[in-house]
Amino acid sequence: MSTNGCNDEAMATNRSGAQRPNGAPQTKVCQFKLVLLGESAVGKSSLVLRFVKGQFHEYQESTIGAAFLTQTLCLDDTTVKFEIWDTAGQERYHSLAPMYYRGAQAAIVVYDITNQDTFGRAKNWVKELQRQASPSIVIALAGNKSDMAAKRMVEFDEAQAYADENGLLFMETSAKTAMNVNDIFLAIANKLPKSESGGGSAAGGARRLADGDQPRTSTCCK
Amino acid sequence: MAQSNFSAVDEYGFERHEDFDYASYEDFMSVYLKVLASRAHKWSTMLGEGKSVKRTNTIKRYVRKGIPSEHRPSVWMAISEADKMRDLAPDLYHKILDGPFEKELVDLVKTDLPRTFPDNIYFTKEANHQTHLFNVLIAYAHNNKVVGYCQGLNYIAGLLLLSTKSEETSFWLLKVLVEKILPDYYTRTMDGLIVDIEVLSELVKSKAPDVHQHVINLGLPWAVITTKWFVCLFAEVLPIETVLRIWDCLFYEGSKILFRVCITLIKTNKEAIMACNDFTTLAECFKAIVKNASALHCHEFMQSIFKVPGTLSNATIVKLRDRFAKQRREQQQKEPPR
Repeated sequence: MSTNGCNDEAMATNRSGAQRPNGAPQTKVCQFKLVLLGESAVGKSSLVLRFVKGQFHEYQESTIGAAFLTQTLCLDDTTVKFEIWDTAGQERYHSLAPMYYRGAQAAIVVYDITNQDTFGRAKNWVKELQRQASPSIVIALAGNKSDMAAKRMVEFDEAQAYADENGLLFMETSAKTAMNVNDIFLAIANKLPKSESGGGSAAGGARRLADGDQPRTSTCCK
Repeated sequence: MAQSNFSAVDEYGFERHEDFDYASYEDFMSVYLKVLASRAHKWSTMLGEGKSVKRTNTIKRYVRKGIPSEHRPSVWMAISEADKMRDLAPDLYHKILDGPFEKELVDLVKTDLPRTFPDNIYFTKEANHQTHLFNVLIAYAHNNKVVGYCQGLNYIAGLLLLSTKSEETSFWLLKVLVEKILPDYYTRTMDGLIVDIEVLSELVKSKAPDVHQHVINLGLPWAVITTKWFVCLFAEVLPIETVLRIWDCLFYEGSKILFRVCITLIKTNKEAIMACNDFTTLAECFKAIVKNASALHCHEFMQSIFKVPGTLSNATIVKLRDRFAKQRREQQQKEPPR
């Protein structure tokens, strides 16, 4: 059974290639749960599609409930595997959201730079995460649709100041042009603790989405 | 219908993706076309005798075996009794469309128009279904202010339009689904949906306890797996022909059918589910089982939903719904919503 956090061997032995010879440095494998939150039609699914498949659809289908995808990033000495939950944006799906952010080690809160209301909604999501999610969750704020800067309604500096006040990572992104999409996931991967002392997967508590009744197996990089 | 075997677009206008498995589909259609021909003959004989469609055991049996697509609009209206609702207010739809409309609702609906079936040729910007979809959704949002517009209704209304080719029929069928057939799935708190997911969880627990325990152990809540199943009534989940066959029964027999389909999917794919040993594989498994051969073979699938789950009475569902609704109310009183 996999657990969130890091592990020296789990993937090394499963790789298609031969096992590393004894003594060679092994890559640490860390698994993190990441959730995307934000108002409807700001581009959550498009950011994920760009990051996971390198694609963009001008008209992305509206997400119902949530969609699940995975993607792996390689850092210098660590492989980070993201379990990504892309959620529905409409307000009335809000009551289902805790199921998705519970136990998440990272969140990307997305707004649309051409729509001020979506920035307000993003701030509410940040507040909710700060109150309800794991205390050490890494939160990134993404001002999406940066390719549409001509219609900008949310100033970069305003969002940057808000992110600084709240200790959030912040980037303006464009799922359409791919600008900053890999970068924001990479920044999150870099910020996530990858050693036991740093908190590791304990950040989000259990990797389970449900209130598991089993004790969580430990944990991060050995 | 036969040419669809070779076409890049199916008979409902959906583009087939590069990875579409033509071979499996032809296997399926080679058998299913015979079923369709036989059912079409039986239905035309029955309807040809001048009988109007009433809710009788014969009709119920016919419906379970599939309504021919050309008869779906009128038969759905009759068996769901949406036609009775329409007869009470025959001008309603057109009156609502005279407006005025609330801007907030217009914006909500418009956002989702190009995001509904973007890979369907009738729903492109150039085709006219986005306008029809707007009319149906905006009319319903104003007709039922408690529901307004809930994401998911776009897919249901969209598929109703593709099947009935009539805005007004789609409007009435949407209304009967939301107000008579389904319990409060689309209201602002989605209480009926959350309760029904609990009901399903309880049914799986009693009908497939090992699967239930396994899924719980791997940490995947049933709500995560099944929210879209319930909200979209399997549209955008199962293959289209299977969805329409489910809707045939849904319009006649009501929301119980949804539980039958869920339990059949879970029990039929028990081995695959039990073989998953972590959360990620399990999540992927639930994406795969709604697209596999048994989900595609709609005729056999629809026979199986009346066998695989075993007994499932309306009384059981009512009782479970009451129980979980009560629990939910008590919980909400204890912890006020955020």
